[in-house]
Amino acid sequence: MPAVQLTAVSKSYRRRGRPPQKALDDLDLLVESGGVHGFLGPNGSGKTTTIRVLLGLVSADAGGGEIRLLDQPVPSGLPDVIGSVGALVETPLFFPGFSGRLNLQLLAEAAGVSKARVEECLELVDLTSRADDRFKGYSLGMKQRLGIAAALLKAPRLLILDEPSNGLDPAGIRDVRELIRRLGRDGHTTVLLSSHLLAEIQQVCDSVSILARGRCVASGPVDEVLASRGSGDVLVQIADPATAAGVLQGAGFSVSPADGALMVHSVATPSDITRVLAGSGLYLEELRRVTPDLESAFLAITGDQPHDGPTAAGTPA
Amino acid sequence: MSAVVEAPGARVAESPAHRASFGSLLRSEAHRFRSRRFIQVLLILAVVGWVVATVIGLLNYGTPDDGDLADAQARLDQIVAEQLMYRDQCLEDASIPDGTSPEEWCGPAPTADDFGGPEAFLDKAPFDFGEAGKDGALGVAALTAALAVAMGATWIGAEWSSRTIVALLFWVPRRLQVMGAKLAVLIGAAALFGVLAQAAWLATAGVWEAAVGGPDPLPEDFWSELLQTQGRGVLLVVLAAVLAFGLTNVVRNTGAALGIAFVYTAIVENIVRALRPHWEPWLLTSNALGLVQHGGYTITYWADGPIGPDGQPPEYYLGPLQSGVYLGAVAVVLASVGAVLFAKRDIH
Repeated sequence: MPAVQLTAVSKSYRRRGRPPQKALDDLDLLVESGGVHGFLGPNGSGKTTTIRVLLGLVSADAGGGEIRLLDQPVPSGLPDVIGSVGALVETPLFFPGFSGRLNLQLLAEAAGVSKARVEECLELVDLTSRADDRFKGYSLGMKQRLGIAAALLKAPRLLILDEPSNGLDPAGIRDVRELIRRLGRDGHTTVLLSSHLLAEIQQVCDSVSILARGRCVASGPVDEVLASRGSGDVLVQIADPATAAGVLQGAGFSVSPADGALMVHSVATPSDITRVLAGSGLYLEELRRVTPDLESAFLAITGDQPHDGPTAAGTPA
Repeated sequence: MSAVVEAPGARVAESPAHRASFGSLLRSEAHRFRSRRFIQVLLILAVVGWVVATVIGLLNYGTPDDGDLADAQARLDQIVAEQLMYRDQCLEDASIPDGTSPEEWCGPAPTADDFGGPEAFLDKAPFDFGEAGKDGALGVAALTAALAVAMGATWIGAEWSSRTIVALLFWVPRRLQVMGAKLAVLIGAAALFGVLAQAAWLATAGVWEAAVGGPDPLPEDFWSELLQTQGRGVLLVVLAAVLAFGLTNVVRNTGAALGIAFVYTAIVENIVRALRPHWEPWLLTSNALGLVQHGGYTITYWADGPIGPDGQPPEYYLGPLQSGVYLGAVAVVLASVGAVLFAKRDIH
């Protein structure tokens, strides 16, 4: 059963004196149950609108399109599944004059969650010692942690986190990452993680969807998405790069220098390089396929160009 | 935040799905209401104000002894004598127009009753519950209604300023249920506030009556009329809270809503009374008076001048029922508009 399923969902915002702005354009999105699913896209690509549509805060355009959350239609079936969905959307929303503990207790009371669970969640985000302080006195990171605690109160089957690392210090970011990883592996929780920290997504997520201009332009396991954006470049470390470059060009390869090594472009079979060079008495020190990191893939997929070239992050051949 | 890593995650998987019921939502909202600092400060100030008002009343009312009454009678007699002397001088005045008798020109001879009797000249008059009871209830209703406006506006305004109402929708997606729970808690709290305020007035009046009350017995039907006035006063408090809630929910900002309310009562209503007196039956404060005041509120159109055989200007009577229905309709419309907008609009 998919945790999240959107089929041909569109959303346009009316603007006074201007044509409507299309935030979602026939969006198809599928998030299978279990694990951590990354949700990426440049600003204005429709990520937050998608989350708001899923949570019933924003209505999709009428006609066509289907939205299902934990196998229930949205918005009609939302009351039946909302008890299994935790969400932190953009900034945490709490009463500034109330303590962190009271803010959580009010939410827990509304949903019939026990007070013990409130204390568990405060402990989970390391806020127990500051739980009686007023929310308005919290640092940005503490506010974010309280938001995560609120999202976890219901012990959700689906946890939607929109930029959960905002305002956290490096240790906090690491701890949230560990928490998300652990939740994704517990066999109970599906985490939908929207983040601009692409390295974080790459480290934490099992699968990823990338949005651009309101459409899902890439989706699947992280490795597959990265592989689909691979250029076929191969990095060659060798003692005599100049001679090797001549040999490879003579054999029909496209070669360029790369910091004392060689970058061989559009290589279908890397073992051909080994064979050609060995035939000329040249022996490799290292040969590895260059795969783009998520940032490069993201920028390529969404139409932006990376500021730096793809990094050699592939596995050694 | 090391506890994040160390804390057990197994419990997360064990808990069942939670579903908010309207009852649990009401309990949560009631908890929030009584936890609000504004409400706590308001209650403390109300208690302090009640004590101060009671003490001031005790200091300003008093039970006169024979000496006080004799002094008051002497001052009254002196004033009546002075007025009679002035009238005698008037009667002897040669400038009285022809065709006008001296009695018509100078008026009737003044009596002690014209000056309120000797009680009006006492330094500390006794408290007369029979006379002040309904007026006091009206005053308490007006003050409490003003506070209820602030209560209703800040109750929903705080939700919009902190946007916590959006977070609550992650728990209870039925928006009308959310709004209904908030409104129900406000109505209950405003009614309780109104009842407590009127009870406080009875307590104050009881203290004054016991300590510095006069000898006059209570008029017939006093308690019936007083309790009816107080009941209508409580209704006004509830309606004021709902009106403020509805207005704030429409504009989604406490300051803007209170500003609109102030401009309306302080400026718009006075302009209407001055320029369009016949519109006064539609004004909210006139209807508030018509609702609570014993016997309703009669609007006199002085600008129309004397009309009819009795030479009196025309009047319009605002009875409690008419005023109550009108104020109720306005409150329902405002609250409904806010609720429907909340239910239908996208929330960002």
